[in-house]
Amino acid sequence: MSGVLIVLVLALPWFGALIVGLSGGGRMAWAQHTLAVLFSTLTALAALALLFFTSSQPAISLAFGPAFGDLTFVADGLAVSLTVIASVIGALAVVFSVDYMRGEEQLGRYYFMVLLFIGAMNALVLSGNLLFTFFFWEITALCSYGLISFHNDDPKAVAGGIKALIITQIGGVGLLAGTLVAFSALHSYQIADLLAKANTLPMPVLSLIAFCFLAAGAAKSAQFPFHTWLPDAMEAPTPVSALIHAATMVNAGIYLLARFYPAFAGVPGWALAVTVVGMVSALLGALMALTATDLKRILAYSTISQLGYMVYAIGVGAVFASQFHLLSHAVFKALLFLAAGAVIHSIGTRDLRKMGGLGSKMPFVRDVFVIGALALAGLPIFNGFWSKELVLEAGLQNGPFWIYLVMLLGVGLSAFYSMRVTRLVFFGTEREHLHIHPSGVFMRIAMWLLALGTLTTWLFVGTFSVLLTHSLPFHHLEVVSTLGMVADVLFAPATWITLGIITAGVGVLALRQRRSTDAFPTLEWFDTLTESGFGFEPLNHKLVAWTQRIATILQKTQTGQLNWNILGIAGALLIVLVVLWWGR
Amino acid sequence: MTFTPLDFVLIGVVALFGIGLYGLLITRNLIKIVMVLQILVKAAIMALVLAGKSSGNPGLGQSIAVTVIVADTIVAVIGLALAIQIRQHFGTLDTREVSRLQG
Repeated sequence: MSGVLIVLVLALPWFGALIVGLSGGGRMAWAQHTLAVLFSTLTALAALALLFFTSSQPAISLAFGPAFGDLTFVADGLAVSLTVIASVIGALAVVFSVDYMRGEEQLGRYYFMVLLFIGAMNALVLSGNLLFTFFFWEITALCSYGLISFHNDDPKAVAGGIKALIITQIGGVGLLAGTLVAFSALHSYQIADLLAKANTLPMPVLSLIAFCFLAAGAAKSAQFPFHTWLPDAMEAPTPVSALIHAATMVNAGIYLLARFYPAFAGVPGWALAVTVVGMVSALLGALMALTATDLKRILAYSTISQLGYMVYAIGVGAVFASQFHLLSHAVFKALLFLAAGAVIHSIGTRDLRKMGGLGSKMPFVRDVFVIGALALAGLPIFNGFWSKELVLEAGLQNGPFWIYLVMLLGVGLSAFYSMRVTRLVFFGTEREHLHIHPSGVFMRIAMWLLALGTLTTWLFVGTFSVLLTHSLPFHHLEVVSTLGMVADVLFAPATWITLGIITAGVGVLALRQRRSTDAFPTLEWFDTLTESGFGFEPLNHKLVAWTQRIATILQKTQTGQLNWNILGIAGALLIVLVVLWWGR
Repeated sequence: MTFTPLDFVLIGVVALFGIGLYGLLITRNLIKIVMVLQILVKAAIMALVLAGKSSGNPGLGQSIAVTVIVADTIVAVIGLALAIQIRQHFGTLDTREVSRLQG
């Protein structure tokens, strides 16, 4: 049964991608919308059904010859939970797109990429073969590039897409290198083999794999020092930002680290490195979100920051807390992005300086955005509160104390910026008179369901914990019941400290707002610092300039003349033959 | 020094390959390029059959050789079709001329 469902979860979106991609645009646009919604909804249903068939054993195993090993699909708790997140949020983003992308040309390309992405993400997490994980990993990168550059007549969108592609490629190279090293040591691409035999490997080999995978995870999840691609990815249509750059693809890095945590936990320095990467990203993301004036960029910075919390949780060994926060974050961040998309769709700008006082004109969007922002800030009842508390509690117990303090500061900052952005968009006075055109019914359905999820997903923490515990033999997780978690969180002193910090964050915002009538009080040095991404943007530009200079020099070796190329090939062949003969 | 029949085939392969490579090195005429490519591929096909025979697996070698023949025919057909088009479009078959014209 689980085999059939896995095939459905992979084949439905890919088959749908082909059909929607090939069906014509223009007057047939309604058919494309309908087909995309149909296929993504069916995928989501299949993924939900897969929840009941989790197991740690491969459900499908296809022999692929000695070079690639068996292509296996393992529907364990970690994989299935991510499949459900990708498929369900993917389906909601597609439903949202029906209104958002209406009248857009080249819908076929859009839905093709989105559905291909959903299928690739499902395959990436379900695959039990590292080499195929890498293939699917690259497909998600490709779809991300295609969707960021969807408006390919806009140079900013094209540049953002290329940047995302190149930076996530660094991660892809890391994953491939780690995979090949693991293969040369174990003669198997199976993830289960690597987890089972990790402690038999010599330590230098294991640490090489571990750090390669850390680079892969950090690049994919937009963590320090690879975080610069995510803000520029905001040129994508907003449902794509919600789906890929908040809810699913960036989770692939977290997935990789969580999947291999049991294998790498013993590598000296690895856990600390993961913790520090998480801490720096959480702090940098929060600081950059403080002063940004682009609605979607603020959300992108906060994504970097929240992903930092998940990486931090893995670093201190709290794999369950990280996955729980991943679930919460996926739901509330998708909600925030979709609500932001509804705002942008209504008024046609992303600039915060032009918004303000929109709440009375679009009460529904205001309400769901406030729900999302409160969850992001980590206030009680919302799912973000419970998961963030679990992360911080684990950090206090197992991690270095100074890092815990930095993370607490980050919590205060996230409360500050999430309340700031809510206030600037929906409350206060109108700064510019904007024509508002109302959000459609499909948008409302998607946002309403996500808002419901933000209020309720934490109730399933017990089920989620059972799901992960029973099918992950190497992680040694403990079952947490919902009631136990609630009691645990409510009676932990860490919770009250955190809540105090959050209140302080909100209070500082309130004080600042009262003191100055200017909505955008600036600290100039801080603004320049955040705009340059703390010096990482200039570094990027320098790297690009060097690469181009080297390319210009190397260009001279490309004559484009067939005869010269043949001479080169023959010469190289001769050298190889001589070397082979020599070493005989 | 005695030659087995297989050695003669090997000599044939090397000779054909050498002729093909030499042709690719010197010629600039598109039609001739297609021709020398054919010679090169024939060397490869012979090498496949030879390898199948000498490794005691003649069926495998011959089946791959047939596959290569099919693919190679397509290469020849498309190459010649391109050559005709280029001749009509640019009035020359010289590859250096064509690449200098830039479109």
